[in-house]
Amino acid sequence: MEIRDCMKRKVISIPATATVRQAAALIVEHRIGLLPVVDKQGKLGGVIRLGDLLALELPDFFNLLPDLDFVHDFGAVETARPSPEELDRPVTTLMQPVTFVEESCGLLRAYALMEKHNLYDLPVVSDADALVGIASRVDIAAAILSDWITATPSKI
Amino acid sequence: MIAQIATALIFLVSLWLIFSEKLNRTIAGLCGAVLMVGLGKLLHFYDETQAVAAVDFNTLGLLSGMMILVALLEPTGFFQFLAVWAGRFSRGRPVRLLILLGTVTTIVSMFLDNVTTVVLIAPVTILICEILGVNPMPYLMAEALLSDTGGVSTLVGDPPNVLIASAAGFSFNDFLTHALPIVIVAWLSALWLLRFLFRRELAVRPPNADVVLKLNPRESLDDPKTARRVLIVLGGTILLFFLEEPLDLSPALVALGAAAVGLVWVRPNINDVLRRIEWSVLVFFAALFVMVGGLEASGVLGGLVTLLEKLYAIPPMLFGLVLLWFSAGLSAFVDNVPITIALIPVLQGLESHGVNVQPLWWALAFGAGFGGNGTIIGSTANIVVASISERTRTPITSKLWNKRGLPVMLVTCTVASVLYLLLYPLFTR
Repeated sequence: MEIRDCMKRKVISIPATATVRQAAALIVEHRIGLLPVVDKQGKLGGVIRLGDLLALELPDFFNLLPDLDFVHDFGAVETARPSPEELDRPVTTLMQPVTFVEESCGLLRAYALMEKHNLYDLPVVSDADALVGIASRVDIAAAILSDWITATPSKI
Repeated sequence: MIAQIATALIFLVSLWLIFSEKLNRTIAGLCGAVLMVGLGKLLHFYDETQAVAAVDFNTLGLLSGMMILVALLEPTGFFQFLAVWAGRFSRGRPVRLLILLGTVTTIVSMFLDNVTTVVLIAPVTILICEILGVNPMPYLMAEALLSDTGGVSTLVGDPPNVLIASAAGFSFNDFLTHALPIVIVAWLSALWLLRFLFRRELAVRPPNADVVLKLNPRESLDDPKTARRVLIVLGGTILLFFLEEPLDLSPALVALGAAAVGLVWVRPNINDVLRRIEWSVLVFFAALFVMVGGLEASGVLGGLVTLLEKLYAIPPMLFGLVLLWFSAGLSAFVDNVPITIALIPVLQGLESHGVNVQPLWWALAFGAGFGGNGTIIGSTANIVVASISERTRTPITSKLWNKRGLPVMLVTCTVASVLYLLLYPLFTR
């Protein structure tokens, strides 16, 4: 089985000209964790991860301290919000390089890539580099596991 | 004559590379040291045996022993514990928080490496400030400035002091009787000045001050058992430093002995401990010693001393004062370790000509120590605090340091100068 057999074909993506605020709105609307950024031709330029957006609100100490278990109340940080300037800047300023695969990619290779890169969603592109689908970890794992059930009959 | 010009050139080029940061200081030092010995062998004025003899192993032993103790204490979370405790005890009041964090950082860095202290306390400072909703900048700057100032008070508090003590034969107690009283006054003046300079930031009362009471210092201490053991060893070390003279122990022996006891008691993964040691600092020190040894062997320092002797016609008190401000001015812009290492043989040379250099050693200690406060690059603690703050939303800039740090340097140096003149007879013995 190839990734094209289990991927979602309806991909929620955002144009490179959009703002951070619009990216946040799309993520809220569709409840997704990864937002591919595409250019005018529909080519994949990068991705916005949920974490990249939330990093705007996370406090500075989050990156400086190895352990936060002793902090029982985040106090003023809990109500801090990103500034309007931060939300109105282009989405490309937060964009991350993307790991993607072609439609013909095998399922186990796709899963292994996600494990190695610690990804939860994997964009899929056509031969012409256009974004054509997206598969989550669960999509891929379920496709692999379903194969176990049909291809390896039980002996009991 | 060729030897003198060539060695002076090697030393000056190495210093220029170090100060201009064109080359990492340890690499520059190592190259300079190797060139010095190579040239010495070629022109028959300096060889390997003399180079090894030029290295002050008392300094290196003391530094590495204390580095091992810090390496044992660092992963226990003890430094974080102190900062969290200070935050909680401040009850979220800005001035109280500044005084507590500054005091804790100072006391710890009087005995342990102040760079490690600042590296570990600064992130917790940022945490406390963020949950209180205040700007961490005044607190971070106060930690660097006050710990640098406080470090001048003890033999182990500041690398130049270790060098001076070893060269001049000063004991741990000599620092407590000569440097500590002056440092206390200078430190209090620095604190008062910081309170004034940051009066606007410190006037903001956090609305949710109680949030710091929910911090749990005990939970920030990862390994209380090891922390307790290392602190007991550290306590014993300080006690032996006090008794250094009656027991006829060198500080290096005390520090390395403490490191050995600590290692046996804690039994850590030795590779982890050794990885935490700042080898680059130790190699840099050794390389500078070898270079200065070459300058001495070629006769450059002797010539310089003869030159300085003429200057010594000016009153000794004034000479001390000039040295204090001269070393302070240099330390504000460049590393105070090479300055101290370069000035030590000069002072020793003056001593061999019958000059009483005791007051000059102290002037050098105050100047090299307090001078580092002047600029953002003046001391390693300043550089470290600035680079940590660069990872936050409120970075400390060089311009800001000139506005708030430079006055601290000027005030501490002025206080030291006034007290130096008033207490001059104390420093002559």
